[in-house]
Parts: sequence; C-alpha cells; structure tokens
Amino acid sequence: MNILIKLTGLLHSQMLDDLRRRHPFAAERVGFASGRLGTLQDGGRLVLLTRYQSIPDDQYIDDPTVGARIGSEAITNAMQSAYFGRQAQEGVFHVHLHGHHGKTGMSHTDQREIPPLIPGFQSVGRQAPHGIIILSLDHGSVWVWLPGNKEAIKAASVATIGAPIGVFESGVSK
Amino acid sequence: MSADRYSRQSFLGADAEERIARCTIAIPGLGGGGSHIVQQLAHIGFQNYIIYDDDRVEESNLNRLVGAKAVDALAETSKLHLAKMMIYGLQPRARVQAFSCKWQERPEPLREGQIVIGCVDSYKGREELEIACRRYLMHYIDIGMDVHGKEPPVIGGQVILSSPGGYCLRCMGFLTDEKLAREAALYGNAGGRPQVVWPNGVLASTAVGLAVDLVTNWTRKGRSHAYLVYDGNAGTVQNSHTLRNLNAACDHYPTVEIGDPIMTEL
Repeated sequence: MNILIKLTGLLHSQMLDDLRRRHPFAAERVGFASGRLGTLQDGGRLVLLTRYQSIPDDQYIDDPTVGARIGSEAITNAMQSAYFGRQAQEGVFHVHLHGHHGKTGMSHTDQREIPPLIPGFQSVGRQAPHGIIILSLDHGSVWVWLPGNKEAIKAASVATIGAPIGVFESGVSK
Repeated sequence: MSADRYSRQSFLGADAEERIARCTIAIPGLGGGGSHIVQQLAHIGFQNYIIYDDDRVEESNLNRLVGAKAVDALAETSKLHLAKMMIYGLQPRARVQAFSCKWQERPEPLREGQIVIGCVDSYKGREELEIACRRYLMHYIDIGMDVHGKEPPVIGGQVILSSPGGYCLRCMGFLTDEKLAREAALYGNAGGRPQVVWPNGVLASTAVGLAVDLVTNWTRKGRSHAYLVYDGNAGTVQNSHTLRNLNAACDHYPTVEIGDPIMTEL
C-alpha cells in the first residue's frame, strides 16, 4: 500500500528546533506529533501531520543505555493525545532525530524500544493512524500503523510543504 | 541526460535539479493558462505531473492554446493529449497521471501533489481548489485573467500563492462572499470570456516562477503567500495593495479541517 506523509515546513522546523536542543542528561530528545488520514487513489493513504508536542526536560529518565528514555508522565500525555484525538481520528507519532545528514532509519535500539508503544496508542485511538517518525537533519522516514493493522507500513515519501519544499523519498538519500 | 541540459539554470542551486525532479505538481485545467504552465515545467525539468482536463481542442482555442495546431481543432484532439505530448516530448521519463475529467470527479490523485497550479475560470472553482489544498497540505498557486470595458478594453489578471498555514485567498482580499454570490447569480449566463495568449503567458510564467522558488528557494525569500496583480494595458506586474492590510494569522482554515472530513455524532 502506498502511504505518503505531509507536514508543513513550519511544523518540520518546529520539530527539528526542539529535537536539536541539548538535554541536561539524555543524549537525544523525543517528541510526539499528531497525524490524520487522507485518502489517495488505489487505496493509498496520506498521513497529514498537524501538531507537535515537545517533552519537558523533567519527563526524561536518566538511562545511559539508550539515547533517550521518557518517563510515565510523557507516555501518559501521549496516550491522552491519542484519547482526545479519537473524534478527529487523529493519531500519535513518536518522533526523534538522528543528528546526521541523509537517509535515516530505525536503529536496533529504536526497533526494540519504540514499536511496543504503538499497541497502547491503538487501544485508545482505534480509528486513527499511529506511528514512528525518524528525522535526520535533511531527510526522514516514517512507519505507519493504520487503524486495525498490527504491522507497520513504511511511508514511500515524506513531504515538507514549506519554502523550500522537501520531498524525502524512501530509499533516496537527501 | 546531458550535463549541459540544465547548465543555464544552475543559479537555482546545486541540488535544484533533484528537488525539481522529486516535486509533484498538479495542474487542473489545461487551456490557455495550463498549456503554458505544462510547457514551462517540462522545460525546467519537472518529472511528476497530475493533470486534469475534459475538453477537446476547438478552432476558438487556437488563438492561445500552446502546442495546439490547426489539425488538432479538426481532429478534436483532447487537451490532455496535447499536454502529455508536450511533457513527454521534453521529459520522456516523466511520470504523468492524466485524467480526462474535472478534478472534483477524481480528487484523490490531486492530493499527492505538493503544488497545485489552478487555471480555473470561476471564483467558486478557486475556492474549491484552495479548500482541497488546505485540507491535504499543498501550496496553491492561482492564475486568472479577464478583459473589462471597451474604451479602451482593460486587461487585468492575478497570480496568487496560498500556502498551508499562511494567508489565503480570502485573507488577501481576492475571494469574498460578495464575489461568490454575484457569480452564483450569473450561473449559466456568464458567456465566453475574452482570452488572449500573451496575458496568459505573463501570468503562467509568473506562476511557474513562484513554483520554482517554492521548490528551490533560490530567491531566499521563503514565501508563504503572494498576490501579484497584472495590468495588461500598462504591461506591469505588481504586489497587490491589499497585502498592506494583512496582519492577524489566517483563521479561515483551522487545523481541525486537515485530512479527510470526519462524520461526528451530535
């Protein structure tokens, strides 16, 4: 299935600006974005990101074995976003940044730590898409769990609608 | 492809060719304005097109339809076919999604675009396109021209950029309820509007210039809106004076209206 991601250039900048900030002890930062569905031809889906929620410094747990670990308060807030997004069918996307240029993807740690969050979001927001967004400084990859799906689908592209427009194709660097 | 092909537009940026090739651009309406736009985009190097038109070439189109020949009026060639031939003639590897209908009849493909350049005649048509662009996060560039009066006739036109999160056609004073109501009252009785090739060329070129800037940001302006007014008698294109009145952020398209409409229980 063809899945495309879109967000405004402003929202993309807001995410990067937040995620690039140095944390007092965590090696990287995490955030949550909200996203809604649009219908494409031939059963394809658009995921349109609408908002970004930064995680306050004190909601991180000091764990040197991972780049960032967030605590129960941050997870609860994300679950609440999924809950309050039910009427608009707006889902929650875990976002973090790999601070390099070019194509990026999930590390082994990412694969182990982040996908287990998704069933929780799905249990609260059943009709909404949820997922994982990994940004680099000039690229990005997104995995989407569509409503009712247990498996993720990797988005074919991520487009930032600003000036300049950015189109990050899956498998294409930069 | 020869490295020389885009050497004269290298000022657009080191990665401009890749950026242009990755962008998907939709053009609903391939008449006097759209035919110019398609030709220019193909010259520049755009590779991904979503085009719509359900019309065929008539003799009365030959005064302005770029790419049309006398034989096309005789053969009643579709405008969609002309546009495809124009694109493939310049970009043989282009990905063209072509629909012989109005975009409203097949709205889903349009949503894949990052830019929509609208060449529609009516205010209602413009409003519908802008709503789709805001809902599915696309830049919308509108072009239009008209001829008023007789002594002498006055050619006017506009090119407007409306971007998600930025000022919209209403904010910039172009769309009003009054204009929409007046147009609705004339429905079916508007008659054929005067159209000539050179104002379409100016407006289409200006729109393509905005599109290339959105893709490459070569001007470093980072535009989120534009309203350029064409005076065809003076031969000038200037910023609309209505831009001076802009202040508060656009509240016509709230974030809650992004994505497919949701039925909610009352």
